Amino acid sequence: MGISRFFEVVALGVKNLLRNKLRSFLTMLGIIFGVASVIAMLSVGAGARHEILSRIQELGVRNVIINSVKPPAEIKPDTTDTQNKDRYGLTFEDADYIANVIPTVETMLRVNRITQRLWYGSKRLEASVLGVEPAYLRMFGLEAGRGRVFTEVDAENFAKVCLVRRGLVAQLETVEDPIGMWLQIGGFPFQVIGVLEDAAFRSHTRKALNIDSTTQEVYIPYETSMRTLGTVTLIERAGSQEFTQVDLDQIVVTTTGESEVLRTSQMLTAALKKLHDRVDYEIVVPLELLKQSEETQRVFNLVMILIASISLLVGGIGIANIMLATITERTKEIGIRRALGARRRDIVLQFLAETTAIAAIGGLLGCLVGIAGILGIVELTNWKAVIAPSYVMLSLVISCTVGVVFGIFPARRAAQMDPITALRFE
Amino acid sequence: MSRRVLELDKIVKTYGTGDSALTVLHGLDIHVEEGEFVGIVGASGSGKTTLMNIIGCLDRPTSGEYCLNGEDVAHLDDDRLSLVRNRSIGFVFQSFNLIAQLTVAENVELPLFYSRTPRRERHQRCLDLIEAVGLGHRTGHYPPQLSGGECQRVAIARALVNQPALLLTDEPTGNLDTKNGEEVLKIFHDLHEQGRTILMVTHNAEIANKLPRVIEMRDGLVLEDTGVGTGCLLSSGVESTAGVVS
Repeated sequence: MGISRFFEVVALGVKNLLRNKLRSFLTMLGIIFGVASVIAMLSVGAGARHEILSRIQELGVRNVIINSVKPPAEIKPDTTDTQNKDRYGLTFEDADYIANVIPTVETMLRVNRITQRLWYGSKRLEASVLGVEPAYLRMFGLEAGRGRVFTEVDAENFAKVCLVRRGLVAQLETVEDPIGMWLQIGGFPFQVIGVLEDAAFRSHTRKALNIDSTTQEVYIPYETSMRTLGTVTLIERAGSQEFTQVDLDQIVVTTTGESEVLRTSQMLTAALKKLHDRVDYEIVVPLELLKQSEETQRVFNLVMILIASISLLVGGIGIANIMLATITERTKEIGIRRALGARRRDIVLQFLAETTAIAAIGGLLGCLVGIAGILGIVELTNWKAVIAPSYVMLSLVISCTVGVVFGIFPARRAAQMDPITALRFE
Repeated sequence: MSRRVLELDKIVKTYGTGDSALTVLHGLDIHVEEGEFVGIVGASGSGKTTLMNIIGCLDRPTSGEYCLNGEDVAHLDDDRLSLVRNRSIGFVFQSFNLIAQLTVAENVELPLFYSRTPRRERHQRCLDLIEAVGLGHRTGHYPPQLSGGECQRVAIARALVNQPALLLTDEPTGNLDTKNGEEVLKIFHDLHEQGRTILMVTHNAEIANKLPRVIEMRDGLVLEDTGVGTGCLLSSGVESTAGVVS
């Protein structure tokens, strides 16, 4: 069949539909809602996936993050220290072991974290001081909005420099330029060299990186932190003093490849189990989070596909039903066409063109309704949605398929009519 | 010697099977040459309609041979029969059988659509024919807007559009008043003069009387045939039949 003839058949179908606009529209409704739900399903699903992926990417797909965790209080530390000193978490030995023994480790970043008082003149703040390596800043995208971040050179020279958050500067209530300002941390003077951009980390990332508030964090070079502040945190609580010693608060392991992540995390689990006699650490594997969320996503998708299929099925049955009625109504026309030389397949094509046109137009309208619905949902909730042109294409393909599948039965029925009987029909 | 357009030999048509079988045509022979204008008359139940359906390739004979325009069409499948209807037969029905939702031009175009004639050529040919039946000013109208006579002229244009070997018409004036009926008949006579082969089923003795050849049927057989191209008025036998009918 030539292209021009194809278009002629389609045009005839559309013309027949326009003859009875209300009926055609009502017939389309099922498809409209079916397609709208397909589009909504795909977009919301893709939005959720996109959200999870960017979360994972924030943490690094190749990374495994190990955090020190204070063990539950009822487990008494078997330390012989006479001082009221609690020691837990990752140790320097752990770090050495990871760096030297586990083969799939490409780089390893250490993080020291001390809760300290911070003085600016006579102003005092509780600060969470993170001693990190310069690579850590790059890995998690911490950039200076003003000034600069510290580098390997600062680290090598044990420079007493720090990066602060904009919120912290605000709390200091000063009109002075924060860059170059001196802060007292743990009795040492630190110079502010940069104000960090406000972190747009997702809650998930904050949890994995063990950052509670975005304001109170002060970043200093890891080496400087080790030399000046050390690993002991003093907590004053109702008059009594309590020391906690944590060598390393966090180790960020970057593996040699995405495929090595799970193996590495297994090796890390085994190694830490051997090195620690209690679970005072946690292992966060971003890639595993991805896998978990994909599992949840799959269930969600299945349910949505089921709902969409049911509405498309109902839409298709609606089309078939109306077409059967139409065919009875147009028996005479079918007879005339047959007498004038239309073959059975010409009649089949004519009615298939009509059902497919109904479905395709319904599909287009459904896409519009679906997209409008998504925009509404995104506006009203904090869901994320991604609308891709391929979803529109897919929906149109699906709706055309519904049109063909549910059009075949009525169309064949029309074609099977005896032309003589059909001609005599009044 | 002119070509033989229609050749029916020992045509039998039986409906149903077994005890309930009803034989309508009992071995009928009819031969029609090119350019003839033949009337078929007969009382109700004489098998006229069944014969017309078979000649029109809407139905197949139970047995017997049927050659249309030199082609054996008695044993064709449905698709091939559709093709024969499209190319070789022009129907003009008593009730016009125009599609009400299509314009005059679109109605006339229909056979060309099914014969896969290119669109441009289609349009020109149907406009010429509509002009020829005197409805050039009505091409964009819809059948319900036309008078009966106009409708039948559109139907004639549609029947002619594929240049069929045989024009088959069943009581073309049955639904028309006298004046319009005469006009339509005149068109048929003109077509005959132009050399078309026409088969017309009619009840009307007055019309049959003016035809060059008349075949009278009774009980599924040819009762009388005035013969090929006699051009004479009918024998008394047919006149008496006409009397019975009216």
